[in-house]
Amino acid sequence: MHRVEHVMGMPIVVEVRDGEVPGAVFDWFRHVDETFSTYRDDSEVSRIRRGELALADASDDVRTVYARCAELCEETSGFFDVDAVGGDPSGYVKGWAVERAAEMLPGESAINAGGDIRTKGTWRVGVQHPFERQAVAKVVEATDLAVATSGAYERGEHVLDPHSGSAPTGILSVTVTGPDLGTADAYATAAFAMGGHRAGNWTARLPGYEAMTILADGRVLLTPGFPQAPPEPPAA
Amino acid sequence: MLAAMTAAATIATTAKRTVTVTKTVSGRQAVADRWGYVEVTLVVKKTTTTVGTHKKVTRKITGVNVPVYPNHTDRSIFINEQAIPWLKQEVLAAQFNPNIELVGGATATSYAFQQSLQAALLAARKV
Repeated sequence: MHRVEHVMGMPIVVEVRDGEVPGAVFDWFRHVDETFSTYRDDSEVSRIRRGELALADASDDVRTVYARCAELCEETSGFFDVDAVGGDPSGYVKGWAVERAAEMLPGESAINAGGDIRTKGTWRVGVQHPFERQAVAKVVEATDLAVATSGAYERGEHVLDPHSGSAPTGILSVTVTGPDLGTADAYATAAFAMGGHRAGNWTARLPGYEAMTILADGRVLLTPGFPQAPPEPPAA
Repeated sequence: MLAAMTAAATIATTAKRTVTVTKTVSGRQAVADRWGYVEVTLVVKKTTTTVGTHKKVTRKITGVNVPVYPNHTDRSIFINEQAIPWLKQEVLAAQFNPNIELVGGATATSYAFQQSLQAALLAARKV
């Protein structure tokens, strides 16, 4: 069965192949929203951003998230930078929360949180085509895998290059696959922010993660191990 | 490996003389973003062929090294040590009736979700 709820500012789809979706999963997402939302004045993150709460006095989850964000900032040469967006860790929180939620799901299951996906078992995942709303650009065979996409078509041009402050050029989307959704999401955001001339080569150097970069000129760059689904047999 | 200079000379004939010099040239250290210093070194092979009074010089880059690069974490060391990357290149194509169960990438807002392939897939499953 599947369940869809709008929480953390986005639609979250939870699917379980054989069984019920545990209610605890959405309780967890609501708890994450209460703790990390920048739209709630009383969340821990809002209090940290206003300087009312020291990070050292924050909860374990909040300290864990900020610590990983700092590492990701280094791994991406500052292209994923929480400080550049006023200390807002939302770009990592979603994937981190989904990873924790996936641990609560029984058997073969999947979570799609605003277009970023984590699977348990094998699922066929389409990557949205950048121009054709009813089409996909690629089908991924995702086995126990995170699939994160950053693109200009999602929420308007919301990803900026933190070094230049301007929107990246020459690039339509970056999809990163790998074992951890928070990390894959941060890498996708960073690669997208780098722009079309740097993104592809940068993604080719990520140990344990694969990527597909769609450039504005219609070229698609894939790392050698990108988990494309095998072509389907022609319909009878 | 980065010896300052090695030289070897060979004399082919009394009329033709070839001198090969391999030289390592270091660029200035430069700041890479705000993460530290990067330096690039080129190994250049210079071949000078002299026939009588005619001199021909060719230079070829035979090696590129990065002896100084940012090493802030174990993971950044690992990333920097990866081999020269390569990528497969394709042309963007649209698949309109794919056999898929989930759609990634474009359902970040409620409106986008209602209009999305993902919502259509879930609706189809209820039938």
